[in-house]
Amino acid sequence: MTIAGTQEYALNMGPQHPSTHGVFRMVVHLDGEVVTKVEPKIGYLHRGLEKMAESRTYTQFIPYTDRLDYLAGPHNSLGYVQAVEKLMDLEVPERAEYLRVIFAELGRIASHLVMIASGSLDICGWTPWSYCFRDRERILDLFEMTAGNRMTPNYFRIGGVSHDVPDEFWPALQSFLDDLPENMEEYFGIFFGNEIAQARMKSVGILPKELAENLLITGANLRASGVKYDVRKAEPYSIYDRFEFDIPVLYGCDTYDRHLLRLLEIQESRKILLQALRDIPTGPVMAKVSKVIKPPAGRVYHRVENPKGEMGWYLVSNGTTKPARVRIRTGAFVNVQMLSEIIAGWKIQDLVTIFASMDLVLGEVDK
Amino acid sequence: MANEVLRARVGELAARVKGEVGESLGVLELTINSAEAIEALTGAKNFVDVPCDFLHDLAGMDLEDHLEVVYQLSSLRGPQRLRIIARVERDNPVLDSATCLWKGADFLEREAFDMFGLQFRGHPNLKRIYLWDDFEGYPMRKDYVIESHEQRAVMRVRKEGE
Repeated sequence: MTIAGTQEYALNMGPQHPSTHGVFRMVVHLDGEVVTKVEPKIGYLHRGLEKMAESRTYTQFIPYTDRLDYLAGPHNSLGYVQAVEKLMDLEVPERAEYLRVIFAELGRIASHLVMIASGSLDICGWTPWSYCFRDRERILDLFEMTAGNRMTPNYFRIGGVSHDVPDEFWPALQSFLDDLPENMEEYFGIFFGNEIAQARMKSVGILPKELAENLLITGANLRASGVKYDVRKAEPYSIYDRFEFDIPVLYGCDTYDRHLLRLLEIQESRKILLQALRDIPTGPVMAKVSKVIKPPAGRVYHRVENPKGEMGWYLVSNGTTKPARVRIRTGAFVNVQMLSEIIAGWKIQDLVTIFASMDLVLGEVDK
Repeated sequence: MANEVLRARVGELAARVKGEVGESLGVLELTINSAEAIEALTGAKNFVDVPCDFLHDLAGMDLEDHLEVVYQLSSLRGPQRLRIIARVERDNPVLDSATCLWKGADFLEREAFDMFGLQFRGHPNLKRIYLWDDFEGYPMRKDYVIESHEQRAVMRVRKEGE
């Protein structure tokens, strides 16, 4: 009797698969249950934002930037409007800077909550998901009462923000920040302290420090591999140099640490928000900017620390009302590459967890 | 604004690769021909004291008469920043791949190939990344013609009337 050997099997996962967090497709090569190779296939959400930017004025492009990383809309717009302001050498009013930081950090908390929630959902933890989404909803309410939109507020303008926040914003923000420590204990207890979650995530999907640097990984994924680097500290933009906060670093390089680091970052964002809430001055929220925005010819590269990784905006102006080139370097797009590097040898259920720990959002990967 | 040590190192490198040094809003720029791209990148990656060893971004750019590849370099251990601009001929857009220096340049170069038709020699898998394989043309080039809104609307009306 001959025993049939196993043969390699190629499985198409996605683009419409719940654990791919959007429309990500990967061709998974399997030997039995063990993954031998993964080929990421992206582009299902490609909208050609860079090309669109060339046929629109500087102001018209702001709403599109929210749709890059749609889980943390404000931070994308922050990078773009600041790059244009750098080109124009424009001073932004104090109050607007504070409002920008408040929105950007709220967006970061919202994004990290989604990451933790979907990470737990991918290993069948329903309750942590509902806890995280319960609290994220309060952030989206804050966005809604200010800008009318929940996920893509389109609140920032070149030279400030579109309008001041309503009066009911401040008590709502304060109560959210007051409840956050208790909520974080809940997430920790139900997800990070959970024995099953730890068994599924600890020592899974190791991304060593040297490989991470060589693969140009940025953001929380890099910090979970033991590199202490954050643009907010290394090259402070906006008014981040005024706040006291730490950069959390973990050295486990595994899926668990990549999840845990997001929780620690929520804590740091809370510190920034409390300081901003304490220090915010009164005054105008918009600088005097001409109706037609025409930056002088020049090139600028501006980078910001997005929740998903570093985002870089390379703007080339030729002195007209439309940009000659808008290049968007998104963190998630470069971070995708780590999947095929670290996946070999893990089982198919680990693939789902490792993928969740990379924290991709396809709006940002596909642009 | 740029560091003096970095300025001196970039000057030395520019002499070696026959490049021009400029500055734009506080960031040093080194403009070179595409043939020297890898030598310049290797040199910048190994600068003494101020290594620009993190490729932050790699992007194409169309300037009508020629193409450019723009490398944004920085470091995880210092404030140094450098922009290297490699000029590429429009008719023969070939230059060496940076994947030998940074593995992560893989996707960035595939995107530049997809959007601008830049050919990176030595790239392990130079295929379109966003668009489908038999897509014609390179959409981010300035001479790429976009079907007008009116044209698309007309086509839609005709289909509905059938």
